[in-house]
Amino acid sequence: MVYLFRIVYVTMKIQFFSLLIALFACSMATAQPAPGPDCTRPLTLALHDHGFLYSAQTDTGIDKDFADELIRRSGCKFVVSVMPRARIWQLIEAGALDFSLSGITSEARDKFAGFAWYFSNKYYLLVRKDAKVQQVTDFENNQKLILGVVRSFQYSENANRLLNTLKMERRVEYATRLEPLYEILKLNRIQAMVIEPFDYPQVEATSIRSLTTIIDLNDASVPHGLIMSKKSISLAEQEKWRALVNNMRADGTVLRIFEKYFNPELAKSLVNF
Amino acid sequence: MKSWFRYQLPILFILGTSLGITYLLWRHEQHNIALDQEKSFDFNLREASSSIEQRMAAYEQVLRGAQGLYAASGEVTFSEFRTYIDTLQLGANYSGIQGVGVMPIVPDAQKEEHVARMRKQGFPNYAITPAGTRESYAPVIQLEPFIGRNLLALGHDPYGLPSRRKAMEQARDSGAPAITGKVTLVVETKDDVQPGFVMFLPMYQKGARADTIAARRANITGWVVAPFRMNNLMAGLYGRRALLAGIKIYDGVETTPENLLYDSLQNSKQSQTAYDAHAKATEYIEVGGRTWTLVIGSLPEFNALKGENSSRLIAIAGVGLSLLLTLLSWTLLSGRARAIALAQEMTRELRESEARFRHQAQHDTLTGLPNRALFNDRLEQALAQARRQQKHLALMFVDLDAFKPINDNLGHHVGDLLLKEVAIRMQQHVRASDTVARIGGDEFVVLLTSIEEAEDALALAEIIRRAISQPFETPDGKILNVSSSIGVAVYPENGMDETQLSRNADSAMYCAKQRGRNNVHACSALLQA
Repeated sequence: MVYLFRIVYVTMKIQFFSLLIALFACSMATAQPAPGPDCTRPLTLALHDHGFLYSAQTDTGIDKDFADELIRRSGCKFVVSVMPRARIWQLIEAGALDFSLSGITSEARDKFAGFAWYFSNKYYLLVRKDAKVQQVTDFENNQKLILGVVRSFQYSENANRLLNTLKMERRVEYATRLEPLYEILKLNRIQAMVIEPFDYPQVEATSIRSLTTIIDLNDASVPHGLIMSKKSISLAEQEKWRALVNNMRADGTVLRIFEKYFNPELAKSLVNF
Repeated sequence: MKSWFRYQLPILFILGTSLGITYLLWRHEQHNIALDQEKSFDFNLREASSSIEQRMAAYEQVLRGAQGLYAASGEVTFSEFRTYIDTLQLGANYSGIQGVGVMPIVPDAQKEEHVARMRKQGFPNYAITPAGTRESYAPVIQLEPFIGRNLLALGHDPYGLPSRRKAMEQARDSGAPAITGKVTLVVETKDDVQPGFVMFLPMYQKGARADTIAARRANITGWVVAPFRMNNLMAGLYGRRALLAGIKIYDGVETTPENLLYDSLQNSKQSQTAYDAHAKATEYIEVGGRTWTLVIGSLPEFNALKGENSSRLIAIAGVGLSLLLTLLSWTLLSGRARAIALAQEMTRELRESEARFRHQAQHDTLTGLPNRALFNDRLEQALAQARRQQKHLALMFVDLDAFKPINDNLGHHVGDLLLKEVAIRMQQHVRASDTVARIGGDEFVVLLTSIEEAEDALALAEIIRRAISQPFETPDGKILNVSSSIGVAVYPENGMDETQLSRNADSAMYCAKQRGRNNVHACSALLQA
């Protein structure tokens, strides 16, 4: 009798533990990461030529590496193209392009684009020394000085304010990318341009370094991220892409990409925000 | 000064304010015009650069098509390539592209075999140019449409030319299209030579990796190529429509004539003025890995369109209206003052006129002495005062002796002068409070107010008589002598009222006449108590 009772007791115990294991397994199953983004159609992503972010000449850069990793993780089929930044924003707004990289927001852009931030930095004014500019207002007040910018680029608050003021005075020259601006800065056709810390290595490597000085625009750091067209990517899908980007940040992938191009301090300062 | 401030200051204020508002409106309009111009210019610039970028992207796509053909097929025959390009139907819409060609890489070791094969395929004169031995070659083996000037490109090896080689290597390393700088194409003939450039797109071995620079360099098999003639390219973009701005395109950022790829106002007189104009803008675009500088300059029509005249109209109309408003304000503000001034002037004139009439009514026009009416009035007042104050007064009747013969013999003008002189002499000897009046032709009266006694009156009468009896000189130098007879009556002794006094003075004067003229006679009639 005792033996029988013991068998029943052990059987019940096993059943109880089996139940527990089953429950645990169930809970594990529900804790699986959410399904990835919708890959039922080929997606489009555009890069723009911008120093270390992407160089069309070598087909390398931070944005390229970031895009490659994002595409790999998503498992989606992507068509990647290179085009001027102004065109990218037009297409994102129209919904003809799904993604682009290293974008910053503005009131107008918020209406048609979602963002997933992965680095942040401040903007600086790269000014010719012979322009005798000590601070931003010196530049603004000297009617002879011209600012060079990339068409459609938005910057931090003070930089945008400076740009808008100079626009009204027709003291702005536009380019599709930074390279011609460096060249005309050397030729003294423009006296300043707005740059970001990841442009430093390019400045340092050329004769521009000795010609110029860098002025802080006294703005807060501005987050940059994956640009998603609101017209073509639904809010739910945007969340999935945002999660992917956040995973890339969390596991150190973003930092490793930046460290490929910059010294560890600069990379860390850009990525940790 | 006070009235100046009262009337001029508000008017100056109104003028200043209205001119100030005009200035502000003018400035605002100028600002708006500048804004419009800026926007319009920026729009033109963006449109131009965007069109060029889009068009170049389309050409790039054409090359990618050819690249894709090779990527898919590996080997493509002459006729297959021709069919493919024909199917693209690159007509007038894509007039800039001179053709689409293929350039396989031929190592030096295979050069002879390559040349022999090409000659066998129907090009007996085929040779690789420029001549000479190089490590490898990339000759054009086909440039569709393979007719006309495109045949000149057959066998041409751009890889042997530094100007082309750089772009080809750039295309090879990036996997993306690359263009040369400004060149004169080998397909140019002597006619209508245009600046041009060449676009290259690399072809890699079918199925091989091309994701790194090393892989691309290892697996490249050749290039697809497209030469472009710049004027044709831009004509396809803009056509012949009249632009309000001129466009210049330079290769690179240096805007020198050597780098000039295109000028929409080429050979036009407007060219220099357009690009020297104030409304000029520059933009740097990227085409196939190179920078092109776009310079846009406005034509005079552009400025006219933007209504530079409207600000001038505002200025003229504003100044005109300001002046009108000022005039109106001045009229309103100074109206009262001018009315008061006018009223004062009229009052003054009226008073002067009244005084003149009164004077004329009470005075003798010839001598200016009071006439009988005024004299009677004064006599009445003097009598009343003498009665009140119990004082004496005297009344003299003065009659010139033998005056009529003078008038008759020497004329009235002499008589009149004599009368005037008599009046003056009489007035010279009486007090200001006394009155000398003329009451008839040669009859005068003198009223002496406030005398102490009758002798005073007689003494003065004597003085007057003597004064009159002094010789007179006529204007023509004649000396005249005239005498007078004077009768004196004294109040209250010789009369209590003007009638009695006048009658007694008149009687006394007649007595003086009767006594031989030229003397003074006191009235002898005393009033009875």
